[in-house]
Amino acid sequence: MLEILIQGRGGQGAQTAGNLLARTFFAEGKYVQSFASYGGARRGTPVNSFLRVDDKPIRLRCSIEHPAAILCFDDSLLQGQLLQFASKDTVIVVNSRRDAEHYASLGDYNIIPIDGIGIAQKNNMGRIVNSALLGSFAGVLHQPSIEMLSQVVEESAPVKKQENVAACEEAFHLTQGVHA
Amino acid sequence: MSGESTRMLLSGNHAVAWGARLARPDVIPVYPITPQTPILEKITDFHAAGEVQAEMLTPESEHSAMSACITASISGSRVFTATSSQGLLLMHELLHYAAGARAPIVMFNVNRTVASPWAFWPDQTDSLAQRDTGWVQFYSESAQESIDSVIQAFHIAETIGLPVMISHEAFYVSHAMEPVEVPSQALVDDFLPTYKATHKLDPLIGQSFGSPVDAATYNRTRREMDVAINSTYEAFEAANSTWQQLTGRGYGIIEQYRTDGADVVVVTMGSMCGTARDAVDNLRDQGQAVGLLKVRLFRPFPYRQLREALSGVPCVIVLDRNFSPGMGGILHQELKAALSGMDDMPKIHGLLAGVGGVNVVPEKIEELVKQYTDAEPNIASLWVE
Repeated sequence: MLEILIQGRGGQGAQTAGNLLARTFFAEGKYVQSFASYGGARRGTPVNSFLRVDDKPIRLRCSIEHPAAILCFDDSLLQGQLLQFASKDTVIVVNSRRDAEHYASLGDYNIIPIDGIGIAQKNNMGRIVNSALLGSFAGVLHQPSIEMLSQVVEESAPVKKQENVAACEEAFHLTQGVHA
Repeated sequence: MSGESTRMLLSGNHAVAWGARLARPDVIPVYPITPQTPILEKITDFHAAGEVQAEMLTPESEHSAMSACITASISGSRVFTATSSQGLLLMHELLHYAAGARAPIVMFNVNRTVASPWAFWPDQTDSLAQRDTGWVQFYSESAQESIDSVIQAFHIAETIGLPVMISHEAFYVSHAMEPVEVPSQALVDDFLPTYKATHKLDPLIGQSFGSPVDAATYNRTRREMDVAINSTYEAFEAANSTWQQLTGRGYGIIEQYRTDGADVVVVTMGSMCGTARDAVDNLRDQGQAVGLLKVRLFRPFPYRQLREALSGVPCVIVLDRNFSPGMGGILHQELKAALSGMDDMPKIHGLLAGVGGVNVVPEKIEELVKQYTDAEPNIASLWVE
């Protein structure tokens, strides 16, 4: 079973990203279970979106404490509360213009910075980074397929469908050659 | 049966809304409350699109919503509603009334902590506190089980003439999206005949409900409710076997997982059953003979089935995600009463695990099983960290 945590600040689209990723794995025929923090979330506060993916039905009904991969929308969240979920084996993709060395002081973590805002702006998406970050995450994890992800992004984007797909695919291709 | 169903990615709550839609209720009085609200929202979407033909009523409180449910139901309509936590508690007076009026309402409850303090986490105390109201109660662990249970519940309620409540837990089930087989309308129409009330409130028929009665007549109504609620077993088996033929999916009043030859059986309800299955598999892999017994039907309490299933089992560990102050875990206490007097009564440990929504992972359940297998049981339920 693959367990994933997506964390962002309320309003950045982490929950939407979790739903899109779940829909993509589901469309590939996988069993998925996705849930997000709820009830007390508001704009600006940390929001978690959890996802389990498996080839067989998922029975667990508990929080994910040790995800294999983390997608972080905002590098100001890369601290104790989020890193408690991580070990040195956890793949952490973070939306950041900085390079990996910048995060060395956080400890022995596998942190992969992706310039989500740069890719979004280049594709006329302003500060809407979730399509770009999903593309990079799929590229680093080698799943789900970029074809299925692009299709789901296109179906789901309320506006700027082609721009969303372009940002997603560009981010995916930038990560090819990056070793998780 | 793939031609008869569509696989969708749905949250537990949206699966419930689909179940309600497919059952074609006539009237849906409902009031929003977190974490039930997505059920109401989805049904409202269906209604706006003309996919639900029911009359939707949105009164000013859950008390009024249940009042409307009762009057609609005894007027001969098929009625669905949904609520949670404080909303269910506000209905309490009318839950007794609905059962006494023999109104076959189907209600979905999302198990959420009760105030104070205010919280939104999974906890079954809200619905368990309604256990003496005369409603049939089922507990579901997944979105699939919830949609199937809603549809089955109308069949059962309308057969026995009592209301049925199904609960699943907040967050882990209500707000988790997962694949769900949604049966076709034609399949559900085959399964669920149009509701024809035996007695109903109708200006053209000289019958009334709820008149003052003498003691002996009141006593008779309770005896009749006793017979009716105990006919749940038969009504469930009939509904479930037909459902199984149509969909390939069936359920139990209780369900046993790897209990053959088990030295220890974990007993619980709702979402924790899923996590416990993984714990059972891990413990079996380590050589410990452990099984799971899931209690799906809580009212009527299936004591005969439980006595049979747990006969000869040395050790039972009850996990309660609920708390009755001054008594402990409600399933623990009810199970002890149900097994009392058996020749080979198991020793029964009651553990308050996950109360208030505290996370319970398989490793925790494994640790508890190891800790309590050879321990002497405590008469009261114990808190676990």
